[in-house]
Amino acid sequence: MIKEKDHEIVFKYTGYRREDFSVCLGCKICASVCTVNDLAQNVNPQELLMKLFVGEKIEDDHPLVRYCTSCYRCTTACPWQIRIPEVVRAVKESLGMESRFEKAFKKSLNIWGRVYEPFVVAMTALDLLKGGYIKYMPKWMGYAGFHLPHKVKRIKPTSAPKGLNPSGEGRS
Amino acid sequence: MMEYGYYPGCSLTGSAKRLDQGVRQLCKKLGHILTEIPDWNCCGALEYGDRNELVSISGENLEKARGMCKEIVVPCPACYKNLKDADPDRSFNILSPLELLSVENLSQIQQKRDLKGQVFFPYYGCLLMRPEGNSIKNRNIMEDVISAFGGEVNGENMKDRCCGGNQLFLNKWATEKLSTLILGKTKGTVVVFCPFCHMAMKTFAEGRKVIYLTDLLLYVMGENNSL
Ligand code: SF4
Ligand code: SF4
Repeated sequence: MIKEKDHEIVFKYTGYRREDFSVCLGCKICASVCTVNDLAQNVNPQELLMKLFVGEKIEDDHPLVRYCTSCYRCTTACPWQIRIPEVVRAVKESLGMESRFEKAFKKSLNIWGRVYEPFVVAMTALDLLKGGYIKYMPKWMGYAGFHLPHKVKRIKPTSAPKGLNPSGEGRS
Repeated sequence: MMEYGYYPGCSLTGSAKRLDQGVRQLCKKLGHILTEIPDWNCCGALEYGDRNELVSISGENLEKARGMCKEIVVPCPACYKNLKDADPDRSFNILSPLELLSVENLSQIQQKRDLKGQVFFPYYGCLLMRPEGNSIKNRNIMEDVISAFGGEVNGENMKDRCCGGNQLFLNKWATEKLSTLILGKTKGTVVVFCPFCHMAMKTFAEGRKVIYLTDLLLYVMGENNSL
């Protein structure tokens, strides 16, 4: 759950100010085009923005927090082009709800400056095993190939994964 | 002949190696020279909640490219979006390889085969089409290419729907549902340009081929022996 006082971090992450959401017309065009409609009921990105605007708590099982695909359909449809997926992502990160997969991704970036897929697979092997991904392996053979990680020079090294609950192991 | 900077992005060094090879081969055929940005780093994909951090990660690549090139070819749609987001003043021209193609320049290529009698579903997904202002210029380029070589096209109203690719390792049922919806309303070989879409479609398409547009073009040019 993200509490009222923690909303500031969402504003900080997205670069939006609270008052930026006051322009929302409540037209719910975003809700009518949202991809998550195909996955869950009562999906309404506008409601998430309003919670941030008025300072209400956001539950961590909110359908958008769980399933938003960053498709940007809402942004394109919104009269103000509000970048809702980036708001959702900021909420998700401040809730410490990143999955092990997402964490492995960032860790790889921290180590090598690039995502080294074999590392991400190794870090998430248990999830892949338990999640029933093995049956896709025949179809995924074309994606496999051996290469060593390549460490690149960084100008500004990335900070370690952060959030209100950086040690949270991810719940999805 | 044109010279471009090239930003492959992480997946093109691994699971989407095929797209990398295809783009390089195709550009060579079209007479373009691609020079990789030295020590390019990951673009951050869709994994960062902090926009400043994301822009800084992608911006670093632009700093590495500065002085070397003004035009950067970026095949992966997530990298394409992030590099554009990191360059609000448009001091670089960030280009998808799709933007190097036009029916005119394709008419100059040596065509060895055609696509007559074959049905295709050109599928763009999200980040080549959205957010607005970031999208590729010709939003029908894949249809133009396929039609130019005699292929039949379908699925216009599904071409920019979301496959749910970025949920594949989080909630695979969600990706399955979204991809299956798209597949159910279209027919023929699925032609993509995004590594996420390729993986999602490949995983859930039963009995349908999933290829990159580069595979299709190289086939027409007589390079690949089959689609
Ligand atoms: S980006 Fe997220 S919130 Fe917006 S339409 Fe897509 S799934 Fe819905
Ligand atoms: S489309 Fe934009 S203005 Fe309309 S309800 Fe959604 S966020 Fe508000």
